[in-house]
Amino acid sequence: MKDFMMIFIGADYQELGLSPEQLQERMGKWFAWNEKMQKQGIVKSGDALMPQVKRVSGPNRTVTDAPLIEGKELIGGYYIVQAENAEAVVEIAKDYPDYDLDGTVEIREVMVFEQ
Amino acid sequence: MEHKVVDHLFRHHYGKMVAILTRFFGLSHIETIEDAVQDTFIKATSQWRTQIPDNPEAWLNRVAKNRTIDILRSIQAEKNRNLAITPGASMLQIDELFLDHEVADSQLRMIFVACHPTLNPNEQIAFALKTISGFSIKEIAAALLTKEETISKRLTRAKKTIIERDIQFQYPDPEAIHNRMERVMKVVYLTFNEGFHSTNKEKLIKEDLCGEAIRLCQLLLKKEQFRSGSLYALFALLCFHMSRLESKISSDNQLVNLKNQDRTKWYFPLIKMGNSAMHKAMDYDDSSVYHYEAAIAFEHLNAKTFKDTNWKKVSYWYEQLHTFEPKMFTLLNHATVCLQLNDLEKTYQILKSIDVAELGQRGYLYYGCYAEYYLKKGEKDLAISFLDKALLETSNKLEREFLMKKREKLL
Repeated sequence: MKDFMMIFIGADYQELGLSPEQLQERMGKWFAWNEKMQKQGIVKSGDALMPQVKRVSGPNRTVTDAPLIEGKELIGGYYIVQAENAEAVVEIAKDYPDYDLDGTVEIREVMVFEQ
Repeated sequence: MEHKVVDHLFRHHYGKMVAILTRFFGLSHIETIEDAVQDTFIKATSQWRTQIPDNPEAWLNRVAKNRTIDILRSIQAEKNRNLAITPGASMLQIDELFLDHEVADSQLRMIFVACHPTLNPNEQIAFALKTISGFSIKEIAAALLTKEETISKRLTRAKKTIIERDIQFQYPDPEAIHNRMERVMKVVYLTFNEGFHSTNKEKLIKEDLCGEAIRLCQLLLKKEQFRSGSLYALFALLCFHMSRLESKISSDNQLVNLKNQDRTKWYFPLIKMGNSAMHKAMDYDDSSVYHYEAAIAFEHLNAKTFKDTNWKKVSYWYEQLHTFEPKMFTLLNHATVCLQLNDLEKTYQILKSIDVAELGQRGYLYYGCYAEYYLKKGEKDLAISFLDKALLETSNKLEREFLMKKREKLL
């Protein structure tokens, strides 16, 4: 078994101006997905991220508050799950609730450092 | 631990929290409050992914309250004012406002604000759907078949008026209650009609709008001072109509008219509720269009089959309704009933007296009625030409399909 990170990009609820009803519906889907993965015992960790961004870049360590990032590029959260291979994670990621809001899941294998 | 969140909790709770917080912080902060409540739900959608709190409502209340205070504090810091956010009020008081009866009280105040006479009727409905019922601008636009931009403008204007006129978060004075209640009932009635009669909508939107109107009506009936024969009659009317909603749209989203509805699908508990409200309405002396409309709706529900309908009684009630408040649409309905009674002469007389321009978007129904009239007279060609006129008058998909089907049968 390997560890994979599923990174959720885009579909910023705040920017999309979803209604309370729609938000509740989304919440229900996320909850169901989380529960399904928990039952399979594959979740190692996961978090949702606040939309505010600070960026440090360049040799001068320039700090920018980055509203420059468009909602569709914003990372909203991640899960680390255990799976046989990337293809298996692709299957898991099919339940991600926000494809219809132009959300994307990026799947990356976590690198293991040899002892 | 597994928790299920009640259906529509977010939407219903939106209105509650906005009302409570507005009562505490004042109408002048309504924009800030709405933002804070919205933020709260966004937060909940992230946090509740893994674990739904034991008491979701308490969680929402707490977070919304804190968020509002935070935002107001930062606004004040920016303005560099030394005023306390809440002069004379303690945090203890705000918690008391979250008690059930206070919540209902706050929401009722909001209904009266929404129906304030300085707002125009379009603004009143948009404001009520947003602030009391928790619909988004997009949802209101879909519900009212209006552009999002138009709804935004209406909401902005309504809020501007509220602030400029310094409208207070209060009930109207006792002497103004009667007039204001008429407005309130009208807004409830129109909200319901938007859901029930407009056909160009998904079933879900229909249910939501109708459900909201009934909820508001129930809220008003809770308070002795707002009760009247008219309010009970309105409630009865909404219950009667609502009991048929399920049977009005077929599984493939086709419109089903009264004649072809599956009467076993009518929801009996709502009919019962409507009946008892109608009885209560009789304890008061006032009368209203709602009385007559409820009487008509009841006659339809009372018939086992379409053929069994007591058309004479229905016709009588339409006559009464038109005497009470003359309206072209009532006349049109009356003409349809006369057709059922095979009183072709009277049908023609009534149709002739109708000014179709006043029917607005419902003009197609007028031509549809003429078509039926000529069909009964055996004048097929005229019937077809009136169906064509009806088709020209409506862009509504369901309605058009319905008319087309009728037309095909005649060819």
